[in-house]
Amino acid sequence: MSKKISIWTGTVAVAVALSLSACAPGGTSAPAAESGPVSDDVAGAGDVTLTVWDQNTDEGIDEAQEALNAAFTEKYPNVTIDRVTQSFADLKTTLKLALSGDNAPDVIQANQGYPDMGAFVEGGLIRSLDDYDEIYDWTSYYPESLLKINSFSADGTEWQGDNLFGVSQTGEVVGIYYNKKILADLGVDAPTSLDEFESGMEAAKAAGILPMAYGDIEKSPGIHLFGVVQAAIAGADTVNALVTGQDGAWTDEVSVEAAATIQDWATKGYIPEGANGVSRDDALAQFQAGESAFYIVGTWKQAAIAESLGADAGFTTLIPEGEETPVTTGGEGLAWAVTTGSENPDVAAAYVAFINDEASAQTFIDENSLPSVIPSDFTPEEGLEADVFDTYGAVTESGGLVPYLDYATPTFYDTLTSAVQQLTDNQVTPEEFTEILQQDYSSFIESK
Amino acid sequence: MKISIGEKIVTYFVLSLFAAFALIPLLGVVLTAVTPGSSSSGFRIPESIDLGNFAEAWDRGHFATYMLSSIVVTITVVVVTTVLSVMAGFAFARLKFFGSNIVFYVILAGLLLPAEAFIIPLYYNLRSAHITDTYWALILPQIAQSLAFGIFWMRNQFMSFPGEVIEAARLDGATDLRTLWQIVVPPSTPSIMTMCLLISMWTWNEFLIPLVMVTKDSLRTAPLGLAFFQGQHSTDYALLAAAGIIIAAPIVILYFFLQRRFISGMLGGISSR
Amino acid sequence: MTVSTRARSSEARKAGTVVNRARRRRVESFKAFLYVAPALAFALTFLIVPTFQTAWYSLFDWNGLSAATWAGVQNYVDIVQDKELRDSFLHVGVLVIFYAFVPIAIALLLTMVISRAHALRGMSFFRTVLFLPQVIASVVVATTWLSIYSPNGLLNTALRAIGLDSLTRVWLGDFTTALVSVGFVGTWLNVGLCLVLFLSGVGNVQPELFEAARLDGANSFQEFFGITLPALRGQITVALTLTVVSSLKTFDLVYITTRGGPGNSTSVPAYEAYSRAFNSGQVGSAASVAIVLTLGILLITALIGRLQPKDSE
Repeated sequence: MSKKISIWTGTVAVAVALSLSACAPGGTSAPAAESGPVSDDVAGAGDVTLTVWDQNTDEGIDEAQEALNAAFTEKYPNVTIDRVTQSFADLKTTLKLALSGDNAPDVIQANQGYPDMGAFVEGGLIRSLDDYDEIYDWTSYYPESLLKINSFSADGTEWQGDNLFGVSQTGEVVGIYYNKKILADLGVDAPTSLDEFESGMEAAKAAGILPMAYGDIEKSPGIHLFGVVQAAIAGADTVNALVTGQDGAWTDEVSVEAAATIQDWATKGYIPEGANGVSRDDALAQFQAGESAFYIVGTWKQAAIAESLGADAGFTTLIPEGEETPVTTGGEGLAWAVTTGSENPDVAAAYVAFINDEASAQTFIDENSLPSVIPSDFTPEEGLEADVFDTYGAVTESGGLVPYLDYATPTFYDTLTSAVQQLTDNQVTPEEFTEILQQDYSSFIESK
Repeated sequence: MKISIGEKIVTYFVLSLFAAFALIPLLGVVLTAVTPGSSSSGFRIPESIDLGNFAEAWDRGHFATYMLSSIVVTITVVVVTTVLSVMAGFAFARLKFFGSNIVFYVILAGLLLPAEAFIIPLYYNLRSAHITDTYWALILPQIAQSLAFGIFWMRNQFMSFPGEVIEAARLDGATDLRTLWQIVVPPSTPSIMTMCLLISMWTWNEFLIPLVMVTKDSLRTAPLGLAFFQGQHSTDYALLAAAGIIIAAPIVILYFFLQRRFISGMLGGISSR
Repeated sequence: MTVSTRARSSEARKAGTVVNRARRRRVESFKAFLYVAPALAFALTFLIVPTFQTAWYSLFDWNGLSAATWAGVQNYVDIVQDKELRDSFLHVGVLVIFYAFVPIAIALLLTMVISRAHALRGMSFFRTVLFLPQVIASVVVATTWLSIYSPNGLLNTALRAIGLDSLTRVWLGDFTTALVSVGFVGTWLNVGLCLVLFLSGVGNVQPELFEAARLDGANSFQEFFGITLPALRGQITVALTLTVVSSLKTFDLVYITTRGGPGNSTSVPAYEAYSRAFNSGQVGSAASVAIVLTLGILLITALIGRLQPKDSE
């Protein structure tokens, strides 16, 4: 019997080995982008259903998206839009699988940088929009900096390369929202420098008010916290060079100082204890209820904060020492891209153009949200809107926007988010923190 | 055997203590689910009962779709697995054929393999076969997994089936197939039913396979639906509690009616997952 | 277990019928094989071959989208060298303690005290309740405990109600308590299971053994270690197998409650395998983690099987 067993196992093993060697993983031929002529004829395309995946779940932005979708289908009744919307984290998880599957969506929102958009381009999953640009002329509408963020080399290995892969609806600046009433009670001005911000928090703490609302269980707020502080210390050029992989190391003095500052705030209680277990929705709710003086988040929360705090809400960014204009994390919302698997690329591209054009900018303004290109004739309302819009205009003009740090390497999102959690909980020293980042970064640079 | 009053008291006390331990979190869920009012107000005993959360969870969470998916997948898996397990279990128990030992061990391996061992390539294989994002991608792998348990179970059952009855049927000229379905299966119905219950439970509760295989919202099964619902309403605990109850209810209700089968089945399947 | 046993008396028929018998046996064998063929096909296609493929993938560096590059055993070396990966295996070890050893110990202790519970009325009610957690979908268990552990959830509210405010914390967000909190869910899940299992096992022990021991003057301890424990060997093996294997495979709970956080303090191999394969595009590394996990499960199952008493199945 044992001889028979060994014969059997032998046969099975050989069969298996043979079938395996035939299929080394990967290299699934990506559908080549159609190089035929492109058109903007939507009406003549017949009945089309566009499957759209987005993460525009924030208040205001969600309503604007719905309005734009309705307007598009009204203009082109032959098109039905199947909108699948998820949270940012869920979209990040499910999009990769969905794109490489059979029923890939037509239009998606892709997060810029190497982890998501870069991987999609490299895998041939989204198509270059350069040929559609000839029709829709995005290169004239958007400033160079915004276009670059949405561009890659054709093979996806170089970010900010020569091929445009998406366009964005909303502008984004990460800054410090503050409660005007609380600050007035404390006798503190809106901070414009890191030192002022710190003393503002100190005053709040002394008065028994929560200095900063912060909840990092979803991990992404950590990126903004570190980004804002690092930008305020290091300045735009340094951070830009770092994120784009051109120069510098994460272990340089400026980043260590940023990390030390954050840990210092945690020790002093400016960053609430146990923040790693608090959801950012809860943190936002705290700020909206007027319980904290400050809240670091991006302008995509403008509508939500405006609605709750009204005239008490303010927005500010920090100016690095020795400079004149603010430097902070920001750029634009996720890029709208057309997938290579789409059967109606013309209609998809027309849709993308429609929801990103000048008229759409006004839709976003109507919903208390910041568009990526502010209409030149628009005057923002005094108060929060003015704060946000003027800041955005100022930083884009002065080049004070640095990219989101998680763009830096394909694995940087995971590395940075978990490292910040450890930093704020005193699990690592600032030096160790920067070393964690540098390790990920250097192995990526080496492999390029 | 006489048991002293003292011992009875201690016994009941201990049992009650641990029964409470098991129940309290679940009672907490029920209370949270019927608590009206704002979402982030924390846990408290509600003054009034509000069933609105269930309706809201059902609507906003598209749970009708998800439950339907779960039902389709579960029923298919159970039916196919039962038929194949009965046949294969009978063959292993009562028929002789070349290589039966090896084949048995190969199938049994399915009991020990965690889903992580095969799901990564399986995803890519099924994608090449264009069946990811279909019900088949959920049904077929789970049939494979359930067969391991099912065959093990039915083989045991049929091995302890009185051999004389089978012999008598054979001598009467019945084919193996007829022997199986008309003689052996009817009295074995209780244990077959136990197997069906357990496989229903495992299939209904399965999370990883749907998470990987399916991205279309309309195909998501109930546990997967709950996970995404939680991602979007992470702090609305009342809503989440209501949704959780909806998802768990079918199996729990089955359990209450048939607990003896569930318990003996799970404990009896020694190397089950 | 034979198909046909017709005795042949004549020698003459024997010569011609040996071939017949052999052929018939082959035909019967083939027909019997058909009974298991579909199941075998399922097992091979969806379980066995993909498992070998996983091993194959583990030798490559692959992001899941483009072509793969050969990595040899580098992924396995990484498991030992990379802190993140090493830690995930350590964490699951901690979970095994909470999922398996703690519930089994508690259940054994209780069985010692209430060894004759099975004879009491109402036992089936208790059995139903104690076993209930096992039946609830893991996702629902996870969201339930997510709510319980939340800053204003059941646990903290209860602590505040009895004046233990200082003990309240953000259980799942705190580096020191997150893993233990996840582990405790496992204890909750399995204590009832083990208790039910052991009580029913004890119920099978003949009462005369206990009577004899009492007459000999044995106290509870001696009774436990001398009679109960050996009698429960089968049940302990079942309990160990069920709880240890399920804890090693922990995925659902971590995915829903912490996603491996805060930092990486609750990451476990199953979650790492999933996350690396489908999130961060490190399929080769994910495959190697999956293989190591599988081998670990097989090994441990085999070891536990050694404990089993020889006369039972």
